[in-house]
Order: sequence, then structure tokens, then C-alpha cells
Amino acid sequence: MLTSQFLLLGAILFCIGVYGVIARKNAVLVLMSIELILNSVNINLLAFALRNGSADGHTFALYIIAVAAAEVGVGLAMVLLIYRNRRSIGLDELSEMRG
Amino acid sequence: MSLVASSAAAWTAPVIDYHALAPEIVLAVGLSVVLLVDLFTAERNKWLLSVLTGFTLLGATLPVLTLAIHDDSVRSLFEGRYVVDEFSLVMKGLFLLAGYVIVLLSSAYVEEGDYWRGEYWFLLLTSLLGMVMMSSSRDLVSVFVALEFLSIPAYMLAAWRKRDLRSNEAGVKYFLLGVFASAVMLYGMSLLYGVANSTLLVDIGESIDLDGDFAAVQALAVVFVVVGFAFKVSAVPFHTWAPDTYEGAPTPVTAFLSVASKAAGFIALVVVLLTAFPAGRDVWQPFVWVLSALTMTIGNVFALRQTNLVRMIAYSSVSQGGFVLMPLAVAGGAAGDAALRAVVVYLVVYAATNLGMFGVILAVSRKTRSSDIASLGGLFSYAPALGVLLTIFLASLAGIPPLGGWIGKFAAFQALLTDATPWAYVLAVIGAVNSVIAFGYYGNVMREVWMRPVPHGDNTPIVTPSSLQIALGITAVATLVLGILPGVVLHFGDIANLVGAFGG
Amino acid sequence: MSVGESGVSEFLRSYLTVGWFGIAAVVLAGLLLWVASLVRPSRPGHEKLLTYESGVDPVGEGWSQSQVRYYIFALLFVVFDVEAVFIFPWATQLERYGTFGLVEMGVFVFVLLLGLVYAWRKGVLRWV
Repeated sequence: MLTSQFLLLGAILFCIGVYGVIARKNAVLVLMSIELILNSVNINLLAFALRNGSADGHTFALYIIAVAAAEVGVGLAMVLLIYRNRRSIGLDELSEMRG
Repeated sequence: MSLVASSAAAWTAPVIDYHALAPEIVLAVGLSVVLLVDLFTAERNKWLLSVLTGFTLLGATLPVLTLAIHDDSVRSLFEGRYVVDEFSLVMKGLFLLAGYVIVLLSSAYVEEGDYWRGEYWFLLLTSLLGMVMMSSSRDLVSVFVALEFLSIPAYMLAAWRKRDLRSNEAGVKYFLLGVFASAVMLYGMSLLYGVANSTLLVDIGESIDLDGDFAAVQALAVVFVVVGFAFKVSAVPFHTWAPDTYEGAPTPVTAFLSVASKAAGFIALVVVLLTAFPAGRDVWQPFVWVLSALTMTIGNVFALRQTNLVRMIAYSSVSQGGFVLMPLAVAGGAAGDAALRAVVVYLVVYAATNLGMFGVILAVSRKTRSSDIASLGGLFSYAPALGVLLTIFLASLAGIPPLGGWIGKFAAFQALLTDATPWAYVLAVIGAVNSVIAFGYYGNVMREVWMRPVPHGDNTPIVTPSSLQIALGITAVATLVLGILPGVVLHFGDIANLVGAFGG
Repeated sequence: MSVGESGVSEFLRSYLTVGWFGIAAVVLAGLLLWVASLVRPSRPGHEKLLTYESGVDPVGEGWSQSQVRYYIFALLFVVFDVEAVFIFPWATQLERYGTFGLVEMGVFVFVLLLGLVYAWRKGVLRWV
């Protein structure tokens, strides 16, 4: 059945995304990895919607697309902010506060 | 696509109960007005915005009251996707009043800084609207949209002081972990949808069957969703963002995050656990048990070694989160109603106390310009009122009897004892030990206030703006009344009939 | 309605056409380039190896900073572009949703316009 292949693709994308979030130190790459996870969710939802024959999954995916765009907007703005203030977007250098 | 068109046959516009949606509508109109007024007024008239924000919140509280008085029945909108019942009304009232107190706390702070005032009020209202929506959401899509609605403005508020490196860092850490958590949660949600073929929480609740074919998928989905919310409520080991964000964000924003944002995370968790996962309790109960025990203990241990007051409060609020999780660890069993009541009571009491705590911190830091615990030295000798208030709030957080915090802890322990299983008793013992440890750091602050000398012998009195005084008055009265007349909140116990109401 | 096996294979067949088309395109282009490389002389030179053989010489590396203004415009574009995702499904069913749908979409567009007004008042729309 085709659904399982889509789900497999979703799972692989999800794993790549999680790996990226954990392993990367560059804020932009972490954002991209989070987008990968969100897209894996969209693939899952569409595959299930196709299998179950209901439109709920499509609607959910539309909301995720819109929210993801908003998140990326805010995220890039923040990356820009720290770049302006400290000329670097390395997350491991963010250590003003400890303890 | 043909999928959409095929269901075309009969479509009738949904009947909208405008009375039930009135709080949301008032907030939405209010925040549009705030945005437009900000764009078209001169800089010297911007103080109007805080007044406007306050009135919007009070205006939105009115329909909550009329709904509460009007009738007791459950109003269910959009085929049960959006439910206005007693539980959601209590939480809406809490969010709106907490929002109002935060407006009072922050108006002086915002006016005195040279930052983006209009955006501050706009983002605050937007986030509160998300929280109000969250209390009524009973569908995966609306839970997700409400969660992002309340989180995205909160990320921006944390990074609000653009030129301040610490504020930037607070915003970035909060943003990245928050977005990651919601992405993981979404993956779980997509699996739930796949098995249940519905996004309605009640339908998902009926589809979960841990002995069925999809048991593994469902267990995985439940864990993912709980992990996502655990980030939101800063449960250990998903708490790493909390201390840094709380310390770096502007202090009124920290008050907002630690009270309102956290409460919203908890009610989302409660709603999802009790409506969608009752059949999956063998998966999440042990998980929440471990989270609760870890959160209480680690939060307390780290709080003990802090020298910065805000950071100490951050760890203390992590540990308080553990106490809210405590009744949830038994919520799937016979103690379900008691657990739900305990969570609501704890959140109400904690909101009053913690907001008051931040009010005192804001008032004192206007003079000392520092958030070190040592800067509170001899507070009582030169500002007796603030000293007494701080002591009341600390004692309430510690759970000393005549004050509100005690009622919260009492309800939480009561839920565990109702469950009467060995694991519940063990968790109750861990909770009791942690309550005692907490005296250590709360008592330390009290000692500074009452017994230590004033740093640099600077005895100038503190000038507290009237808005801050009102906020302190409201929170202090709430903390005392909740403690002395617990019936006021324990009455909410009737909402415990939630599980039935959710079905609506 | 349900999408059964027949629906899925139909779905696959439509992609098969795309696949064959792609293969044909690659084979045809490769064949032409291969034939051309057999007959043409090969005399590489410094000028010829530049990215743009005629025109402005490239300066610096590929990873260069672009102005922050592009970011703001790109962001505005992305936000409005993505919001269209909600307008398309409504537009295809415009008549069915009738007045109710029209009012709802009016509210939605009003909120979007608020964003645009904000951007305008903050001077983002002006290219200084």
C-alpha cells in the first residue's frame, strides 16, 4: 500500500529533522531542521487523509503550513537580531546566563 | 481536489453562538484597536495604550461573567470542536484577570523604557487571546492553533528589549525549544489523526485501544504529545530554556510567562490527557509520575543554589510545576475528578501568589536596579509594606497554612490520597520532602528581608507607582482570601465533572 | 468518499507520465550534448572559464551578505503568499459558502490588511 511508503518518508524526514536540531550549532540550520519536521508532519497528515478519505488531514496541513511560515518569520527575525548584536549566529556562543 | 468537492452536497453555515464567543471577539476587536491607535497616535499619547489594553481585558471578562451566571449547561460550538463549559470559563477568567494584573505591573515599566510600547500591549493581548482560545479547544487543530497563537507573541515578548543581549538570548532559546517541542507534538498528533480518522479529541479518545493493532503507534503518539506539552510547562528534563528565558526576559514578561503561559500549557495537557487519552493511561501515568518527581526535585535543588532572585523564582516555578503535575499522575484513575480540581485550584492560587511576587520584585528593583537576593537586605526597615507583602507571597509559595499556596498543595495531596495506590503514596512522600526543601530558599530570602543590614546603608524609601500598588493589592488580597476562605476556589470542584462536560 | 486501490494506481499512473517525460528530457539533452562534444573543437581559456563570459567580472565569493531590506520584503511576501492558502479553497467553493463565507473571508482579509497597515506605517514598504 502506498500509505506506508509516505509514512516511511515522513518518519525519515522527522528523524533527519530531530538529528539536525540536536547536532547543529547554527541557528539557521536548526530552523531548517524544524521545518523538516513540520513537513514530515504534513506528509503524514496527507497520507492519512488519502487513506482515510477525510478532508480533516488536508485542513490540518493547511494550518500547519500557515503557522510554519509565521514561525519562520519570527525565527529569522530573531536570528537577525542576535547577528546584529554579536556578529555571530552560533548557538553554542549564547551563554550570557548560567547556573 | 475531488475529496473536498465530493462532500459538497449539503453545506449549511454553522450556527454561531455569539454569546459564547463574546470574550474572544472583544479581545480580537480590542487588539485591532490597540494596533491601529498605536500606529496613528503621537509618541506623547502612547500611555493611552495601556489604559486601552486594561479596558479590553476587563471588557472581555464581562461576557465570561454573564456566561457563568446565565446557565450551567455546556455550550458546544462547531460540532464539539470548541466547548464553553464551567472549566473553560474558570480558566478564561483566570487568564483575563492575570492579564489585567500584568498590565498593571508593566505599565510603569513600559512607560519608563524607550522601547516599542504599542507592540508590547499588542503582543500581550494576542497571547492572551490564544490562551482564552486554548481553554475552549477540544480538537487537535484548534489546540494546535491556540498553542501557536499564545506562544509566538510570547517568543517576541521575551526578546522585546532588542539591544539587550540577555533578552535576545532569552528569546532565541525560548523560540527554538518551543518550536521544536510543538513540531514533535505535531508529529504525535498526525499519528493520532491517522489512527482515529478524526481530529476531534473525543473521537480520538474512543479510538485509542492499547490492545489493538495500532497499540505501538498510539503509545508513541501519546508520548510525543505529552513531551511537547512538557516543554511548554517546563517539566524536567525539558526545562532547560526556563531559567535563562525567565532571567533574560523583561521582568513583567517573565511574570507573564511563568504564570499565564504556564497555566495555558497545563490546561492543554489536562484537556488532552483527560479527553483524548483516558484509555491510554497505562502509557502516560507512569510518564507523568516520573516527570512530576523529577520536576519537583531538580527544580528545588537548583533553586537552592541561586544568588539571583529572578533565577531563583524561575527554578522555584519549575518546581511548582512539578506539584501541578503531581495530581495528573493519578488523573486517569478513580481520582480523576479530585486531580482535575487540584490542578485548577493550584493554578489559580499560584497565579495570584507568583504575580504578587513579581510585583514586589519590580517595585524593589526600581530602587536597587539589581535582582540579586542580597539587594533585598533590610527591605523591611525602609519599606515595611513591601517587606510584609514579600513575606506573605513567599510563605504562600512555600505552602504555609493560612495562605493560598497551602490550599493548592492540600488539594494536590488530597488527589494522591484519593487514588490510594502505592505509587501515589510514594509520589506524595516525594512531594512532602520537596515542600520542606523549598523552605530552604524561600526562608533564605525572608532572612535577607528581615534580618540582614541594608546594602550600602541606603535607606531612601521606595516610590511605588499607583498601578503597581493596585496590582500588589489585588494579588495580596487574592492570596489571603484563597487561603482563609478556601471554599471560594474549592467550589470550582464542581467543574470536576469535566470529563462528562468535555464530551459535549 | 474513499480513495481505494484504483484511485491510488490512477494517481501513480499520472506520475508515471511525468517520470517518462523527465527521462526523455534527460536522454534527449544528453544525446545532443554528446554529439556536439564529438564535433566541436575544445580550446579552454581563462576568459572562457569565467562564470559570465561577457559582462561584469564576479567579485567575492558566492556566500555574500545581501541587504537586510530584502529580508523584510521576503518576509512580507512569504506571509501574504502563505495566507493565500486559506483563500484558494474558499474561492473554489465561493458560491456554496455564500454570504457566510464572504463575511468570514472579509474578516480574514481585514486582519491581513491590519498587518499591511502596520508595515506601511512602520515605513517598511518604502525602498530608501
